[in-house]
Parts: sequence; C-alpha cells; structure tokens
Amino acid sequence: MSSADDNKVTLTIDGREVTVPRGMTVLEAAKSIGIEIPTFCWHPKLKPVGACRMCYVEIEKMPKLAVSCATEAMPGMVVHTDSDLVKQGRRAVLEFILLNHPLDCPTCDKGGECDLQDLTFAHGIDDSQFDFNKYRFIRDKKSTFDDYRLGPEIIRNQNRCILCYKCVRSNKEVFGEYDLGAFQRGNITEIDTGPGQQVDSIYSGNLVEICPVGALTNTDWRYNIRVWKTQKVNSICQYCADGCNLTLWKDRQKIYRATSRRNDAIDEGWICNRGRYGYQIANAEGRLTVPLIKRGERQENATWDEAIELIARRFKEIKDKKGGVCIGGLAYPGLDSASLYAFSKLFRTILNSNNVDFRIDYKMLPEEPGDLYTQITSRKFSIAGIENSDVVLVIGSNLINEHPITNLRVRKVVTQKGAKLYTLNPFATKSGDISTDEIIYRAGTVEALINGLCVSIVEQKLASDTVDASKLATRVEPNTVAQAAKISGVEADRIVGLAQALGEAKHITLITGELLSTSITRDAITAAIMNLALLCGMAENGQIGFLSKYANSKGAEKLGVMPLLSDSLIAEMKTLWGGYPEQKGLGADRMILSAKKEEIDALFVMGSDPMLCYPDGQFVREGIEKLDFLVVADLFETRTTQMADVVLPLSSIAEMSGDFVNLEGTVQHFDQAIKPLGQSMPGYDICNKIASALKEPLFESVARMQPDIMRLLLREENPEIQRELREVKTSVEQASGEYTVPLFVVDQAHHFAHLTERSKSLSAFCSEAHLELSPSMAEKLHAETGTLIRVESEVGKVILPVIISEHIDNDVAVVTRNFSANPVNDLQMRKQRVDYVRLTRVEEK
Amino acid sequence: MILNETSVAEIKEKMVRYPRRKSAILPALTVAYHQVGHLNDDIYDEIASIIDIPAVEIAEAATFYTMFPKHPVGKYLIQVCHNISCALLGADSLVHYLEEKLGIKKGETTPDNVFTLITVECLGSCASAPMMQINDQYYEFLTREKVDAILDELRKQA
Repeated sequence: MSSADDNKVTLTIDGREVTVPRGMTVLEAAKSIGIEIPTFCWHPKLKPVGACRMCYVEIEKMPKLAVSCATEAMPGMVVHTDSDLVKQGRRAVLEFILLNHPLDCPTCDKGGECDLQDLTFAHGIDDSQFDFNKYRFIRDKKSTFDDYRLGPEIIRNQNRCILCYKCVRSNKEVFGEYDLGAFQRGNITEIDTGPGQQVDSIYSGNLVEICPVGALTNTDWRYNIRVWKTQKVNSICQYCADGCNLTLWKDRQKIYRATSRRNDAIDEGWICNRGRYGYQIANAEGRLTVPLIKRGERQENATWDEAIELIARRFKEIKDKKGGVCIGGLAYPGLDSASLYAFSKLFRTILNSNNVDFRIDYKMLPEEPGDLYTQITSRKFSIAGIENSDVVLVIGSNLINEHPITNLRVRKVVTQKGAKLYTLNPFATKSGDISTDEIIYRAGTVEALINGLCVSIVEQKLASDTVDASKLATRVEPNTVAQAAKISGVEADRIVGLAQALGEAKHITLITGELLSTSITRDAITAAIMNLALLCGMAENGQIGFLSKYANSKGAEKLGVMPLLSDSLIAEMKTLWGGYPEQKGLGADRMILSAKKEEIDALFVMGSDPMLCYPDGQFVREGIEKLDFLVVADLFETRTTQMADVVLPLSSIAEMSGDFVNLEGTVQHFDQAIKPLGQSMPGYDICNKIASALKEPLFESVARMQPDIMRLLLREENPEIQRELREVKTSVEQASGEYTVPLFVVDQAHHFAHLTERSKSLSAFCSEAHLELSPSMAEKLHAETGTLIRVESEVGKVILPVIISEHIDNDVAVVTRNFSANPVNDLQMRKQRVDYVRLTRVEEK
Repeated sequence: MILNETSVAEIKEKMVRYPRRKSAILPALTVAYHQVGHLNDDIYDEIASIIDIPAVEIAEAATFYTMFPKHPVGKYLIQVCHNISCALLGADSLVHYLEEKLGIKKGETTPDNVFTLITVECLGSCASAPMMQINDQYYEFLTREKVDAILDELRKQA
C-alpha cells in the first residue's frame, strides 16, 4: 500500500462506497456524500462528546448501535444509517430526551426552528411509555416557568434543556470563557453560571444561537415574533473590520435579530455580541428623520430641498472666493463603499479639493503619500491563514475587543493546533491566558523592545538570509538587548527567549492593532516591525496584519478617501474622472488644525463624530467652533451634529444594499433589509444631491457607478517589501510632574464607535465609560468596583467609575471611549505620544 | 481562607502526581471535604487558585458527585442508594422508615446535629441491595431491624 493510501480510508455507507481522510468520523463521512444523520450535540467546530445518542448508526460486526459522531471511520466498515434497528434506536433516544421536556412549543420562541421539534417530527413517535410527572426546575416559585437570567440578554429555561452541552463546550473550547458550567448530574443536571459569575463575555450571544432547543433565548427575540413570520436578509457586520457574515431577520420595517451566516474563511459561524445586537440601532429611538437647518441658535426642521440649496450655496461661495482647498470632508469608515466613493468623487471632481479623510481617531497623520504604514496595510492578510502559523505575535492590540472573531482564530491555532502566542502590550489583556509569554512594556517604548528583539535574533544567528543583517547595529537604537531591556522595562532573558522563538518559527502571523496604528510614532514603530518581519523571514513564510479597525477602513483606503494617494491610484482616478485636483490635500488632523487657523471654512462630516472620537477634545472643539459652515450627516444627534449648520439624516446600513471590504481585503456584499427611515438617505444619495445642486450629478444610478467602485476595490497593490533594514531611533517621553499614570483610551468590548450606544441590548452589557485599573492600583486609591475617580490630564478631567481588571497588573489607566456622556478624548493631546494622567478619588460628601 | 495549611500542602502534594492539573480536582475536593465536612463556592474558589483551574470546572466536578455534601451535615451522613437494584428491593420504603424514625425529611439534619439523611445514586453495591453508606462505611442487605440496630449503635457513639 502506498503512503498516500495510508491517509485515506474506504468504507461503505448505505451501500455507497466512500473514501475519506483517516481520522474522520462516520458522521462526517456520511455528510460528505450527502447522507444526513440527525444530531443534537454534534457541532462541526466542536470536539465530539456523544452526549445525545441521536446519531446512532448500525455498523456491521459491531454488537450494538454506534454513535456516528464519535466513531472513527475505519477501512472496510459497512454502515447503515436507515435500517429498522437505527430507526428504533432514534425513536428510543427521542422518547428518552422528551422524558422531561415540556410541551410548550406554542409559547416557546424556538418553535419553528427547533431541532428537537423537527427531529421528533421526522423520527419520533407521538406517545411515551413513561407516565410519571416530569421533573421540573423552578427557580422562581411564583412562576411555573424556569426563566432564569444567566447574564445580560440571556435567559435560561432549564426544563427545555436536552443536555447537549453545546453551550458549555463552545464557551470553553472556542471562546475560552469559563463562566458557564453544567452542574449536578442525571436528570437534575443544570446549566448555570460559575460561582459568583455571570455570562457576559463578548461571545455570549453565540450560546443562544448554538442551543438546539429553547433552553437559552435572548431578550431581543423572545416573545417578539415567530420565526416563520420573518424574512431573512444577507448582511455583513458593521462593527469592526473582521467582516463577519450575518443574517438579519426582519418583518416589514423592523429587524428582530441578527445571527451568523457561517463563512469558514472569516467567522466559522461565530459572531460577537456587537454584530448580534448592533442591528438595533436601525430601529432605535432618536433617529434623525428630517434635515435640520440652524436658524439663530436653534436647529429647525427643514426640507431636503432647502438643506441642499443652502449647502450648495455656501460651498459655492467658499469655493469661488477662496477655492476648494477651504472645504474639507470627514467620512466614517464604517460606511458602504458607494457612499465613500461618492464622497471622494464629490470633493475631487465637484469641489476640487483633496481634503478628504476617514481617519478621525488617529492622532497625527503622515504628510507624505505612500508611507510605510499604508504600504503594509495594503498587503494581503488572511484570517484563515492564521491557522498555518506556528507562532502568532500580537503587538499593541487588545485583540478580543478590537477584532473578536480574528481573536477566535488565534485562540484556535493556539489551543487546538499547538501554535505559540506571544503578546507585546503596554498592559495585560485576556490573550495573556493562552500566551506562551505575555510581555508588558513600559508605555511608549515598543520600538526599543522590537529593536532589542531584532538584535537578539541576529546575535543568535537566527536571522533570515534574505536580508543583510550586518547593518542592523548601525541603523537601530538601542542596539543591544541590555539597553532595550532597560528602556522597555522587560527582562533581557524574555527578549532573548522571544527572539529565539521567532527566529526558529516556521510560519509567523504578526498582528498589530490600534495601540500602534493610532500612535503618533507609528512610522518608527512600523519600521521597527518591518525590520523584525524581514529578519524572521515573514515576507516569505508568514503574514503581517496591521489590522484596520472599521468595517470599511480597507475600502476607504482602496477608494482613496485619504488626502495623499499613491501615484498609481491618482492615475486610476484621472482615467475614471478625467481630472484630479492639483493641490495637496489635508489629513483629518490637519483639517481641524487649518479650521482652527481659519484656513478651512467649511467641513462636511458624513457619519462620524469627531467631537467624541478625535483624540484631543479641546483641539477638535476649537477647530470646529471656528468653522463658518458645518454640514453633518448622521443617524443620531451627536456632539458634532449639535454644532452643525445643517444636519442631514443618514440611512443605516440595514436600509441600503452595498459592500464592505474587510481587513483581509475581501469585498463582501450586504442586502437592504428595510426601507430608509423617514426622509433619511444613504450617503451616496446625499453626495449626489449636493453635487447635482453645485454642478452635475456624480452618477446616474448606483448600479452604474458600481463597476468604477469595483475597479478600485479589486485593484491589487500588494507592494513588494523593500529588503533593506530601516533606521529606527527610539525617543522616549517621560511623564511630567504630577501626571504620571499612562493613559490608554480604548474601545469597550460591547461598544463600537459612536453608534452602538443606541442598541438596547449592548447597553445592557455596558452603558457608560469606565476606568479600568489593576487590583494593586485600585487598592492604592482605596477604590472598589464603582468607586468614582477623577481622571485629570494637563488639559482636561473626567470623573469615571472604576472597574477592577481581571488582567491588568501594572500601573496604567485604561479608559473606554465613545460614550457621549463622558467625552474622555478631553484628556488626550494630539501631539503627545502617551498621555499621562493623575487619579484621585472623588470624596463623597 | 477556609482551607488550612495542612490541606493546602496536601493538595499541592497531590497535584504533582498528575500529568494534567485538571486530574487533581477530585483529590483536592476530597482533601477539602475531609477538613471542612462539606463543600461550598468559597472552597471551589480556593481550590481553583491553588491548582490554577477555572472555578467553574471545580464546581462542576464537585456538584456531579453526590458523595460531597454541599451544606453542613450532621455527624453521621446517611446516604441511601435509590438506584435500580436497591429501588426494586425496597429503597423507597427504607427511606420512609428512616424519615419516620429520625423525624426528618430527606435532605435534612436532625436537630441534635447527629444524622443527615440523603439519597444518592448507585454506590456499586447492587449485589447487596438495599444498602446505604454512613460516612465512609457501607451497610448492606438492609432490613428495618438492621436499620434500628445501626442507628442505636451510632447514637450511642454520638
């Protein structure tokens, strides 16, 4: 027998011969030729347990029925999936599962999509041999239902549970959360939270989706509608750049829930709670439905015609008097590609201005086109490709919050495929639970640490031979491990250890996140990371993921919603539009600076809330106050719309069809679920109306514009990496005077941008900004969970309640942003690499 | 801390015997039970931090085994098997008899804190059904007379 055959087995299922890879189960082998075997506890992404016994098959020469989900396919097996014995077995199993199951299908929310209902109908009988009373769990003595809250949005009804353990298993195996367990045994087994815990992780909604019966339900769907009354709409999640595929379930003008539309290349059938409950913003209260025009001090309702006429008149006045360079545009990178493209086209062809940008939450932006950072982000990255790696290196990212689903892939390769994870962060994160080494560097010293790693790789003679490593010592500073250790506060032997692991790795996935991308020294950091990547041979064997943040950040980059574009992209635009503005454009932060200097007179903000998001509250306020004319299109009233001369109602993503480009560069289409609310309009229509009033329409119809958009989105840049080590000098800022605690402004797991505050379910997880502290720091301040702390920086102060972190163990202040009640960007300064704050307890009177 | 130094040392000593830390859960629970006489959430948390396993897994294992009482119990813990063999040979009436005789219901403790009565799953002594376990001792082929004698004997020692 040849070695290729050793990895295959051939068996017969229902008279059909099938050859499958060795190690596959009988169930999977049957599935592969289209034979369905009924299951409850089996799940394609979980290890088999054989708890429900529903997948019985008859295997010749075996004395009893076998559970196909946990029986490995063996050469020569003869399997029957539909014999009388099998049917009898299934009937008996169903009878047993139904022993204590209530017959409350008419009031159960799972009714109509319940595995137990369907399989009983297909395989069961309508009678039972058991005539004693069913066992009942009753938590609340006043109610006959056992409706028990496991955590925000999750209700458990233990009476309906059939003990498939899929919730507990996925929670531990896939999500790495240990807050749910199965307690007791036999028919009194109970799914419950761990001692003193609640189920509130970012993945908790999946437990409901995975439940085969109505034992776990979530409050958004429960008692609201029956499944057969809804229609399914294909959608894409808009709350990070992972691009998970969703199904929206709607009836007429209301969306009732979102579930995963499994895509193994991206999400593997898991979605986070932001994706699951974020749809609620479409139907939330407080949506803007009509245009508003500021008359005197008040914003009053107006018609679209009035609003567009005013915008066109003011833009024209400014353009004629001072030129298009005095008008700027900020677009939210979570908008659909058509809106972003129309936005850029409006500015570049009608207003003759290159002042467009989507990067509102970046401190200082590069002033040259084609900077290294943009070059690298345009390289390909694959979420599924993480599984090829034996080492994953995460630098400057709280991955579970920034990219919950990419995080699951990292977890998978580490916990199931034996890869090693190393994390380099200024404070500890949940990834530390599974890290081989979790390295915490002193805030603002990451390039020194990376230089140290590079030096150590060369010293250990592990550097890739595709790069000339001899020049390293003259190009980087610090250039010894000892110095790097001293600056970064990381022990030298850990630097050496990590360098060794990286040097010896066969395939590395390097992931960096927001803590680096929004830093003002990101060019130096990027150069340091490129050196490391070259020395480890990552360009050949590995992938570098500078993960973009928003649902369509990548699309915005590709469509050129940035002031400075590469020559090839400009050439492309010239062919599409027949022209391109001459003047150099300004990035988001420069636009605000110019507004402050009264060089920019008008700003058009589409979908974003710079007043809340820009990392320097005072600066952005001063800039926007100086504007002559501000137009803001958004879904809700925001801090920015409050200052606007004209407010336009924007449609939500559910109210249009379009596409997003995820962090891998994959273009994904989403369909329209409901009609635009009130008079709201998609961004592309708004841009087109303004363009028509000024000069000429941007497009006849969106469909006609689509080929141009796709041409840009599908353009492959993937620039060749220059195989030359770059210069990286470290400059270390010191905390000054009384402000000594490094501040990190991050997103809360259950809140994204300025939008999800309006989702009722997400607010149940988290509805206000917090200050997260290490236990020791909290002790120093005599603070407990909920204690109010005054957080002061040189420029501002906010008062925030404390959360004591489960992970953080150094002296840092981590605050959550984008909550309209607590604008924590007031604490930040745009020129400061690391913001430092002082913490004091608010004394109760 | 509920667990004393001896118990902690004993748990740590048992921990190293297993290739996987998770395997040390039951030995650790046994140590805790022998010291305290019952188990509770605080004990799970303490064991969790000693052997570095999430508390939920400790609690799952502990609640699975009826042999570990989860509330304070009397000096003698009477565990009557109610599984099939014992049930066929009169476990139910035995439980009723015990309830009557001790003046308590199943799951309760006598006011003098001497006896606690519970029913448990199969104790692996089907050949000598009906049977019960009192603390660490098996009592088999039970009849009402035998139960009387056992209880009298124990009450004398209490």
